[in-house]
Amino acid sequence: MKAGAWLVLGGAVAGFLGVLGLHRPATSGALAQNPAQTGPGRTAAAAGPPGTATGSVVDYGYGELATRVAISGGRITGVSVPVLKTAEQFSRELADRAIPVLRHEVLAAQSAHIQAVSGATYTSEAYAQSVQAALDRAHFT
Amino acid sequence: MSASPAAFGAPKAPAGRDRKQQRGRLPAPQPHPGLARIALLAAGLGLGSTTALTFTAESASQLSAPGGLATFAGSLTGMTGTYLALIMVLLVSRIPAIERVAGQDGLVRLHRALAPWPISLLAAHALFLTVGYAQAARTGLWHEAGMLVTYPDVLIATVALGIMCFIGVISLRTVRRQLPRDTWWLIHLWMYLALALAVPHELVLGPSFVGHPLTRLVWSVIWAATAGVVLGYRIGLPILRTVRHQLRVVEVRSEGPGVVSVILAGQQLDRLPVSGGQFLYWRFLTPGRWWRAHPFSLSALPQPPYLRLTIKGVGNFSRSLAGLRPGTRVAVEGPYGAFTRYQQRRRRAVLVAAGIGVTALRSLLEDLPRGSAPVVLLRAARPEDLVLGTEVRELVRQRRGTIHELVGPRAEAVIDEVSLPRLVPDLDYRDVYVCGPEGFVAAIVAVASNLGVPDDAVHHEAFAL
Repeated sequence: MKAGAWLVLGGAVAGFLGVLGLHRPATSGALAQNPAQTGPGRTAAAAGPPGTATGSVVDYGYGELATRVAISGGRITGVSVPVLKTAEQFSRELADRAIPVLRHEVLAAQSAHIQAVSGATYTSEAYAQSVQAALDRAHFT
Repeated sequence: MSASPAAFGAPKAPAGRDRKQQRGRLPAPQPHPGLARIALLAAGLGLGSTTALTFTAESASQLSAPGGLATFAGSLTGMTGTYLALIMVLLVSRIPAIERVAGQDGLVRLHRALAPWPISLLAAHALFLTVGYAQAARTGLWHEAGMLVTYPDVLIATVALGIMCFIGVISLRTVRRQLPRDTWWLIHLWMYLALALAVPHELVLGPSFVGHPLTRLVWSVIWAATAGVVLGYRIGLPILRTVRHQLRVVEVRSEGPGVVSVILAGQQLDRLPVSGGQFLYWRFLTPGRWWRAHPFSLSALPQPPYLRLTIKGVGNFSRSLAGLRPGTRVAVEGPYGAFTRYQQRRRRAVLVAAGIGVTALRSLLEDLPRGSAPVVLLRAARPEDLVLGTEVRELVRQRRGTIHELVGPRAEAVIDEVSLPRLVPDLDYRDVYVCGPEGFVAAIVAVASNLGVPDDAVHHEAFAL
C-alpha cells in the first residue's frame, strides 16, 4: 500500500510536469471562425479610417477581440469591434450581448475604466484592455 | 466421474503439477501484480496531468483580475474532483485483471475511502466559481448564481451536483445506517446519471478545453472509454456468462443447522475462469428474488456440468433459499476476489475459517497442489456448525496437511498470539488465509500482524452479514 501511494505520487508529479512541459498556448486556429463576422483580419485591423485608433487583438480564452476607437474633438465618439472570434456559439451570443453595453460604458466614461458586464467578465476585460491599447495608440488621455 | 451432483461429496484426488488432470477445466488466468502497479502509476499520471491542465489555461493577468483567484480555484477543484470521480467509477468497474490482483473488497474499500473527495471538491468548484464570477461582475452571490445557471449546460450540471451532494449525505455513516442496504445502493447508482449530466458543461465551458481541441478530444475519449468499461464488465460480461452457462438449480441439500448447499447445472462450465476461494454474484430468477444479486463463494471447484455454493441462512434472503425449486434459472456475475492460491508469497499456507467462511476455504484448499501440506484451522461454536467438515478433512489428508478443529465457546477455543504459534509452529514459512465474519477476520489479521507475518502474506475475505 505504501509503495502504491508512492507510485501515484510519482505519476502525479510526472504527469504535472509533462503537461506543463508540452503545453503550448491555444492557437487562434482552434477558434471557430464565424463567417457572419466579416470584420477585417488581424493585419487589416491595424489601420483604420482617419480619426480612429485600433487596439490590440486580445485573446480572452473563450475567443479574441479587437476594438477600434473613433476620436473627434478630444472625445471618444465611437467604439467598434472589427475583430471578434469566439470558441463556441454561446460565447458568441454572450459577446454580442455584452459589446453594446461595453460600448455605452466607454462612451459614458470617456476612458477604458469600465465595469465588467455581469456574466461576461472575460469579454469585458478583453474589451477594456483593447480599448486602452487603442487610446494609448491615439495618445488619448 | 459421476454424473450425479452427489459427486461433490467425495472430493477428487488433488491435481498435481499438471493442471490438465483436473477434469479438463481451464485454469483461471493468473493475476499479474505488475498490472496494479501500472494502474496506480497511470492514475497518478492522470491526476498530475489534469491538475497541470488547469494551470496551462490560466494566465497571470487572469489571476490578478477581480475574482481571478476564486475562479482559478474553481477550475482546479472542478478538474481534480471530476478526475477523482472517474477513478471512483473505474475502481468498481470490475475490470477482471484488476479484480484478480486487488480483490473486490480491497477495491471497494478504496472506493469508499476516496468517496468524500470528489463530492466535496465538486461542491467547492461550484462555490468558488460563483464567488469568483460575483467578484468579477461586482454583484451579489445569489444574483451571480442566477446568472450562472443561464450558461449552457450549467443548469443541468447543477442538477448533477445536487444529486451528488444528496448521495454524499445519505452515504454519511450516521445516515446510511438508517437506510436499508438495497435502498442506499439503488440511490447511489444515480451517481452514474449525475456524472453523465456533468460532462457537457466541462467540455463547453471548461477553460482547459475551450480552444484546446486535442485536450477536449482526449477527455471525451477517456470518459467514453470508462463508460464502455463499466457497461462491458458490469453488464455485458455477466449477461454473456449467464447466457453461455445456462445455470439452473438442480438440488438444494442441507449441510447442517441453517446451512444449505445449492447445486447448479450448466453448460460450458470449463470455460468459467474461476479459482478456488473466489465468489460470484448470484441472481435467482424467481419473482421475489431476480432483482437482487447476492455474493456467495463457490464451496467447491466446478465439476462440469455442476457448480456448488453453500449458504448459511443468516438474512431473510439466505433463509428463503432453502425453498429454491429445482429448475430455477440463475444469472451470474463474476467470479471476483483475490482470495486465491495465486496470492501466496511464502512456501506454505495456513487456512483459517470461522462459521460459513469454510466455503471459500474449502474451494481454495481444493485448488492447492498435492504435497502443499497446508495447516487448516476451523473455528465453530458447536460441533454441528462445522459444515463440510468431512470434505475438508479428506482434502487436507490428500495434501498431507494438518487440521485443527477449534470447537467451543470463544473463550475456550480462541486463536490469539499464544495459541496460533502453538498450532502452527512454522508460521514464519506460511501465508495466512482467513475467511469468516468481519470481526473474526479483523481479529486474525491483527494476530498475524502482531506475530510478524508481513501484510502481503495475509489474505482475507470477510462476509458482511
